[in-house]
Amino acid sequence: MADVAPAAVAAPEGRGIGRSLLLTLPVALWALLMFSRALGVPGVAVKVAAVLTLIFLVTLFFLMVRTRKTNRWRRLFFATLGFLFPIGFVWELIALRGSMSIPIEKMIAGDTPFCFMVIPMILLPAALTRTVIFPGAILPTASNPHSIAVMIGLWAAATLVLGKGWCAYGCFFGGIEEGVAAMPRKARIRKIDGRWRLVPWAVLAAIVLLSLATFTPTYCAWLCPFKTVTEYSEVRSIETAIQAGIFLSLFFGLVIVMPWLTKKRTQCAFFCPFGAFQSLFNKIHIFDIRIRRDQCKDCVSCQNSCPTMALNKQSVADGKTLINCMHCGACVDICHKDAAVWHIKGTPVGAAPERARLLHLYAAWGFATMFGGSIIAGTLTKMLGFLG
Amino acid sequence: MRLLTEAALLGLASGPACLASCGPVLAPWLVAERPGWRRALGLLSVFLGGRLAGYLLFAVAAGLAGTTMPLEARARALLFAAAHLGLAATLIVYGLRPRRRRAEPPLVTIAPARRSWMPVLLGLFTGVNLCPPFVVAAVRAMETGSVTGAVLFFLAFFTGTAVWFVPFAALGALRVAETAATVARFTMLALAAYYAYLGILTLLGRLLHG
Repeated sequence: MADVAPAAVAAPEGRGIGRSLLLTLPVALWALLMFSRALGVPGVAVKVAAVLTLIFLVTLFFLMVRTRKTNRWRRLFFATLGFLFPIGFVWELIALRGSMSIPIEKMIAGDTPFCFMVIPMILLPAALTRTVIFPGAILPTASNPHSIAVMIGLWAAATLVLGKGWCAYGCFFGGIEEGVAAMPRKARIRKIDGRWRLVPWAVLAAIVLLSLATFTPTYCAWLCPFKTVTEYSEVRSIETAIQAGIFLSLFFGLVIVMPWLTKKRTQCAFFCPFGAFQSLFNKIHIFDIRIRRDQCKDCVSCQNSCPTMALNKQSVADGKTLINCMHCGACVDICHKDAAVWHIKGTPVGAAPERARLLHLYAAWGFATMFGGSIIAGTLTKMLGFLG
Repeated sequence: MRLLTEAALLGLASGPACLASCGPVLAPWLVAERPGWRRALGLLSVFLGGRLAGYLLFAVAAGLAGTTMPLEARARALLFAAAHLGLAATLIVYGLRPRRRRAEPPLVTIAPARRSWMPVLLGLFTGVNLCPPFVVAAVRAMETGSVTGAVLFFLAFFTGTAVWFVPFAALGALRVAETAATVARFTMLALAAYYAYLGILTLLGRLLHG
C-alpha cells in the first residue's frame, strides 16, 4: 500500500489565466498538429469543422486546468462525441450503401466495420485456432477503413494510455448515456443494489464462453444496444427480427430511460461486457483515484456522484475505488474535503494530486483530441457540407 | 472390438466439440459451486453420468428404431428444442436458488447430505446435443443393427469424450471469492436466456415452417 502524505494545505479554487494558458499550450500544439492536415484539404467545410473542433477541445482543456475540475468539462466533450458519432457513422453508411442495415452478402464478403466491443470475444478463438470470428477485413480496404487490425491497434494504444479511462474518453457509446444522464436535474431512482455491478462480468463470461462454443461474436449478434444507432443485420427472418427487437429494447432501456431515471451510466455500469473487460487493465494503469481516510468525513457524496458506482462503503473505507473506476474525476470534483484525490501508483497518496491529475489529463486529452476529435470534426464536416 | 475402438477414437477426436457445447455450462456451474477438488471430481462424475444417460437414451432409441428415424428433421428439431429448454430451466433454477450458507460441519451427522439433481440434469441436457460428432456416432450406432450394439458403441464414444472433461475439476478447486461465485450464477442465468431462446426459436421455426 502506498504511503499517505501529510494533509496538504487546501488548494486554491482556480488557477491564474497566464499559468492556465501555459499549461494548455502542449495540448493546443498537439491539437494543431492533429488538425493541421485538415486545414490543407480543399473545401471550406473541412477547414471550419477542424477549427471549431480544435477550439472546442483546447477551450475545454483550458477550463479543466483553470477551474481544477475535470468531470464537468470532460462530460461536455464526451456527450458531444456520443451524439455526433452515430450521426457521422450512419451518414457514412447511408452514403455508402443507402441503409443502416448490413446485408448478409456484405458480411460474407468481410465488409463489416470492426468495433472494439468484439475484442474480448475474438481473443480466445484466435489464440486457440488462429481464426478471427468476425466478418470483417484484417487490413483496411477502400470500402471498410474500420478494419480489425486498425481498431485493435487503436484500442491497444488507448488501453496503455488510459486503462479503463477508455470508457470516459474514448467510448463514443458511453457518451450517449453520459449526455442523457446529465439532462435531468435529479435522479428519480436513487437506491440501486450494488450487486447489479456484477452483471457486466457475467455477461462478459457468458459471451466469451458462447463465442468460443459457437465461433460467432455472440454479443454483436444478440446483445449490442448500440446496433440501434450504428448498423444491424438486415431484418429478413424471425431471427433477425428478434435480434432487432433486443437491440432496440436494450438501447432504449439502458441507454435512454435508465440513465434518465438514475443519472448513472446504467448500460456501462450494469451491462457492458467490454467495460468489465477494460476494467482488468486498471491493474496495469499507472493512475488511480484514492480516498484519504484522514480527510474523509464519510459524506458519501463521492459514492452518489460516481456514474458507474465504482465506489461503495467498503472501498471508501479502504481508501480506493473499485476495479471498474473509469477515472472520470466526478468523485474528486465533488469532494469538498479534498479527500478524493488523483494518484500515481507507487507515490504517497495525496503528495501531489493536482500534478497527478494534470499528467493523467495530458495523456487522456491527447488521446481524446486524436480519436474523439477526428470523429467530431468528421461529423461536423458532413453537417456543414450538407448545410452548404 | 474394432467398432468399439472406432467409437472411442471418435469420442477422443470429438472432445473439443463436446467441450465447446458443455464447457459454457460446466465452467460457471463449477465456479459457482466452489466444491473443492474432491467434491468437484464427484460432481463431474455425476454430470458425466447424466451425459451418459442422455447418450444411452438416444442409443436405445436409435437401436430400437434401427433406422435413422431419430435423426429425421422434425424429430431432431423437437429433441433439440426440448434439450435446450430443459437446460435453460435447469440453469434458471440453479441461478435463482438461494445460496446455502456454508456452516461449520456438525459434530454428529444424523441425516445424509442433501443430494442435488442439478449435475444429472445438466449432463443429460448437454449430452443430448446433436453436434456433428454425435450425429456420426448415432449413425454408426444404428448401423450395428441392435440395441446392445448401439449402447456399446455410445458407451465407448462417451468414454473417449469424457477424458476431455477431467481438467474441469480444476475449476471446482479454485478458491474464488463470494463475488466470483455470484458472477458465475449470473452467468448461468445469461446462458439460460441464450439456451431458452435457441429452444423457442427452434420450436417456432417448426411451427411456422412445418
